[in-house]
Parts: sequence; structure tokens; C-alpha cells
Amino acid sequence: MKVAYFSPLPPERTGISEYSELLLPELRERLDVQIVARGQTAPRDADVCLYHVGNNPDAHGWIVEALRKRPGVVVLHDFVLHHLVAGLTLGQRDGEGYLGAMQREAGVPGRLLAHGVLDGVVPPLWEVRPEDFPLAGEVLEHAAKPGGGLIVHSRYVAERALASGYDGRLWRIPHPAWPAPRDLVAQSHKLRPGEPLVGCFGNLNASKRIPQLLEAFARLRSTYPAARLLLVGAEAPGFDLAGRVAGLGLEGVEREDYVDEERLWSLMAACDVCVSLRSPTMGETSGSAIRALVLGRPLVVSDVGAFQELPDEVALKIPVDEHEAETLARALELLAENEAAREAMSTAAGEYVAREHDLGRVAEAYVAALEEAAGGDAVRDTVVGEIANAAAAVGIDDPSELAARLNEVRLGG
Amino acid sequence: MRIAVCSPQVPFSHGGAEVLAEQLVDELNSREHETALVTVPFKWYPGERVLTQAFLWRLLDLEETDGRPIDLVIATKFPSYVVRHPRKVVWLVHQFRQAYDLDRTELGQFGESPEDRALRRAVHRLDRETLGEATRLCAISRNVADRLRGALGLEAEVVLPPPQELDFRCDGYEGFFLSVGRLDRAKRIDLLLDALAAEPELHCVVAGDGPDRPRLEELARRHGLDGRVRFAGRIDREELADLYARCLAVFYAPVDEDYGMVPYEAFLSEKPVVTTTDAGGPLDVVADRTTGLVCAPRGQEIADACRFLLDHPDDVRAWGQAGKAVAEQVTWDHAIDRLLA
Repeated sequence: MKVAYFSPLPPERTGISEYSELLLPELRERLDVQIVARGQTAPRDADVCLYHVGNNPDAHGWIVEALRKRPGVVVLHDFVLHHLVAGLTLGQRDGEGYLGAMQREAGVPGRLLAHGVLDGVVPPLWEVRPEDFPLAGEVLEHAAKPGGGLIVHSRYVAERALASGYDGRLWRIPHPAWPAPRDLVAQSHKLRPGEPLVGCFGNLNASKRIPQLLEAFARLRSTYPAARLLLVGAEAPGFDLAGRVAGLGLEGVEREDYVDEERLWSLMAACDVCVSLRSPTMGETSGSAIRALVLGRPLVVSDVGAFQELPDEVALKIPVDEHEAETLARALELLAENEAAREAMSTAAGEYVAREHDLGRVAEAYVAALEEAAGGDAVRDTVVGEIANAAAAVGIDDPSELAARLNEVRLGG
Repeated sequence: MRIAVCSPQVPFSHGGAEVLAEQLVDELNSREHETALVTVPFKWYPGERVLTQAFLWRLLDLEETDGRPIDLVIATKFPSYVVRHPRKVVWLVHQFRQAYDLDRTELGQFGESPEDRALRRAVHRLDRETLGEATRLCAISRNVADRLRGALGLEAEVVLPPPQELDFRCDGYEGFFLSVGRLDRAKRIDLLLDALAAEPELHCVVAGDGPDRPRLEELARRHGLDGRVRFAGRIDREELADLYARCLAVFYAPVDEDYGMVPYEAFLSEKPVVTTTDAGGPLDVVADRTTGLVCAPRGQEIADACRFLLDHPDDVRAWGQAGKAVAEQVTWDHAIDRLLA
């Protein structure tokens, strides 16, 4: 079966390009995968198209435009697509398109709000409250068409898609785990007494709760003066990390900008604890959290969205509330002082990754989804048609029970 | 309890699964349950017919009959477990293997078109839903349970079914090997014929009938096995018991068999079993040099194994008796206790 594959790929630096780089070799062992270059459309002889969609308009705008031309299976990496939709509309001077998207999402009030954005009297919604207006409607509508379907990584996104009215095929396929670099996994990891190293990986901005992390780290330093905080990733424009650090009078904060794969693993392996916070959530599954689990590092996450689905044994979950920094500090102190807890979390992480995020099983699940999408409509039509004809032939003119039974065993559609 | 035992019926065909369902009904009735066998004809081709025929089971109303409730259904092989009932026990004989382990083999059914691939996946979905809703899920062998876990992630308790009732006995060890079962390619009787061709002192009786018989008879002719192989066809129970009682050992080497009653029947007749490393279910009980011989699925290796048995009558006797001790532990009392637990 031939699959047309739409995704950002290296050298583009996005989490989704890294995801595809990991997944593609496994998929190619099982399917005839043809990568579609940026701006191109699917080859005519493709049996099914696979579209990776995230919130970044530069990386995914062209993919949504291809999706509009031919339905297919959408991998929804973020549920909140406001930034993407803004890029596809306002970014192309299509104000009417943005108004329409907001109206679809929130009715006339949404349209009015969008007018405010266009007129400059309401701040850009994709920056200030995108979670209130996810704008996933158009993508979901395309995914629900014949030959299509929706792949999500978490129950959280699945539930949000269903709640928003999505009624097409839906598969939850966990984010695959990277194979851990052998030399790093083999290292025994012993915290230097009194010198916990806390790591945070990914873009640095307010939604990653960096201000709260800095505050919690300041508290940790009062107990562990030699504690260090390693922040790895690009800083969002205007975030002013240096100013925030200075404002707290913090020492022990170490910075690395975007690093390559090898360095990323090495830095993460050096950490005693990895922190991956998020609020508001865009519905994404964190690749850096998966990496931390692969390495068996104790993980601290926000108690929101897909993070809530992590077993308690592998991650401490921090509620996003007025006590967030304090709770986070206590979690870091607990992990710094309790070697048994760190080791138990490390063991549990390894088991969890093997159970839930195995790359081969993820690839198999993709194959199943793509096969269902490519031929499933024809199968359903034939089955339902044959049963409908048999019912009609014997005078059954109310097929509601037949339909109910078909749906029970997932033959109805 | 009033119990409905559900088993599909391929018209004009009667094999191990049918025997098992009939025995289960008899054994339940003998324990003061009121039990009936429910069958629906099954045809699995062409194309989507496998689904529409399976769906027939879903339309059955087995919650009550003639104004009285049916307390429990026990479904056996695909697609009888598509049946719906608030208390559905599945004693899984096998799934539709063409959609699983036999896919993309010469025994498979689905091609490479998107429709065929999706059809196969629809069988998986159907299984996941209808096996997943069972109130109790058992499998007839470790092999079947392992396949179920590997394909669908469902856990089943292994409940071994006892073999059919025959006048099992050992009248001695005559110089022939016995093959019992339906003659189709998956049973690989041709391996035994290849072994006879490789070892001129071997003799065998092939009991059973089936679509592979003409090919096997032609193979026997090509090998020049005249007088050393007898195709007995379908035989009655007395003759089957007699062959078990007299043979030297039993050959049984299907491809990744679900369970396989034959080794148990051989053991109850105190006969060792020759099988192969890829036989599946039989490997649960045929232990190499303990209850039989396990060799590679090639004619020469099987010939060597049979030759060994011809030359070592003490081992034949000892392994047959060891097998009997294994088989005697598999009882209907235990099976029914577990199914109704």
C-alpha cells in the first residue's frame, strides 16, 4: 500500500520533524511510504495520505493546504491550532477566513471577537488565549471525510476532538519512544550529595511555566545551595530570562540554546530530575518528557492535559494553581533527598516506556490505521449494503436494530 | 443452569472444534445443566462475506428461549463469539487465523489491495469488541492464548479440553506410525510421506479425509511408497481406537496448531508423539525425549526420529506412559469448573 507522507522533516527544527525522523524508518519497513516535499501534492497513485498537523503555521500551513485538496489521515500533534489558522488566514491577508474560522468555533461572539483582533482593539487571541479558541474545526472536518481519519497521541486530545463534534475514525497511538543511546543508559546515575541538577528542555516561555520553575528553584537552593538548574532550548522573544533570573537573585542557572540530538541526550542524562511543565496546554504530548522517561529520569510535569495520563509511578504532577511554585519546590526537594523514590521512578519509567511507547508497536498501529482508512469505507459499504439488501428482501423496513448491532461490533462505520 | 454452547458449522465438515462443542454439551448435561448446542452455518469467502456471515451471530437473541432465560452462553471458535449475551463465556478454539498469523502466508486469504487490508483490520476490530465484552475469556491452549494477547492484547485463561471419549488402550507396538486428522495442507502429512521416502523401513497409516488427499496420494505414488502407506480415509471410533492401540507412535506436525487433540489421544493409548518445532499447541505437551520427539519440520529429520523409535522400543514404551500421565490430568471436571467459575 502506498502512503503519501506529509510532515516537516529535518533540517527543520520542530518536535514533529524529530517525530517523523524517528517514525519513518519503521513505517518504511511495513509500507510503501512516499514523502511529499513542501508545497507538493500527493502522487495520484497513493492509496492514502498521512498529514502531520501541528500549531506552527510555517511548518504545517502547506500541509493543511494539501489536506484541503485530498482528505486523508491527520496526525493531530496539537489540539489547539489557533496559531496555525491565524497564519493560514491573517498571515495571507485573508481576514474573512479568520472571521469564518472564529465564527465556526464560537458563533457570532467569536466573529465579533475576531473583528476586534482585525481592528487592533483586541490583542491577538493566538497569543493571549488560544486555548479558549482551538480552531481545530476545519482540520477535523477534513479528517472525518471518506478515506480519512484522526490519529492522536493522548486520550485528552481524543476526548476534546469528540467533544467538538468529530465523528470520523479515531485512533490513539502513543508517541513513540526514541531508542536510548546505549552508553547513556548504561551509566549508573548517582546524585552528587547536595548538588541536585534539575533539567528543563524545550522552548523557554511563559506557557512552559519557566517563571514558576525559577521560583521553585530559588526555594530549592535555600535547602540545597549547590543545586543547579539547566535550561536547554530557544528563548521566546521578549521573555527576558536573564532579567527574571537576575530579579530573583538566582545563581546556579545554566543555559544552553538549541542543541543537537547527541548533546540533548547527554545533557538530559546528566540531570537528576527533568521538569516538563505546561499551561495552558495546546494538547501536545511532550517529546522531551518521553526522552526523560527513556533515560529513566524522574519526571515532574504539570497536572494538565496529556500529562495527566502518565502513571503516578513515573511522574510527579504539579497542579496549576496559586501554590504551583511551592508544590513544585517540594517535589524537587523530595526527589533531591530521596534516592529510593528516584530509583523507583526510574525503574517504573523504563517499564512504562516499553509497555506504552514501543516504536515497533507504534508503527504497527500506524499501519493498522492507514489500512483502515484506505479501504475501510469500501468494506463498510459492502457489508452494510449486503445486510441492508437482505433485510429489504424479507420486508424489514425498520433497520434500526440492524444498525445498532452493526455499530456494536464496529461494522457500521 | 440453562446454557447455550455456540459453535459455527461449516456444512459437510466435521472436525475437532465440532467434536469439542458436542462433548462440552454432553458433559454439561451430565452435570445436571440444561445445555443445548447452537450452530449457524459459516462461509468465510469471498471478500466481505467473512464479516456478514459473522454478523449473523450478532442478530441472535439468546437471552431467553421459549419464555425461559438462558443463563449463560459459551462461545467457541470464530465467529460464534460475536453472539451477544449478558453472561458470555468464550472458550476460544481459534480466531479467524487468516486475518492474523496466517496472513501473507500461502494459507492466508487477504491480498494486498486497500480493501483486503481493511477487511482484515475489520476482523480485528470485530474480535476486539466481541471478545473484549466477554464476561470470561478462556482459551483451549497456551498457543491460542498467546496469539490472542499478541494480536489484541487480551488475556485469556488456558483451559485445556480433554480429548474425545474412545476405548483408549495399548495393545502393543506394531511397526507402523499413525497420522490422524483432516487432510489439509496445514496438517503437513506430506512431511510424513517425505520421511517414508527417506527411510525405507517406515510404514504408516493415514486416518482422515480432506481436500489435500489427492495431492498426498499423488505424492505417495511419486515417492514409490506402495505398500508402506495406507490412506484409511474417515474411520469409525472403534477403528480409530484400534489404530491408536496398535501403532508404534503417532505423527502429528501441523503448522502452528491451535491445540491438537491428537497428542492427548496418542498419550492415552500410551504412544509417544513425533512432532516438529513449529507445531504450536502440541508443544505444550510433547516434550522432546520425555513424551515423544520434537524435530525440525523436514522429511529427513522426521525420518531420523521415526527410525530412532523403531530402534528403541524401551523409550517408546516409557515415553508413551509418561504421556499418559500428562493426558490423564486433563479432565472435564476441571475444564467445566474453570469455564463456569
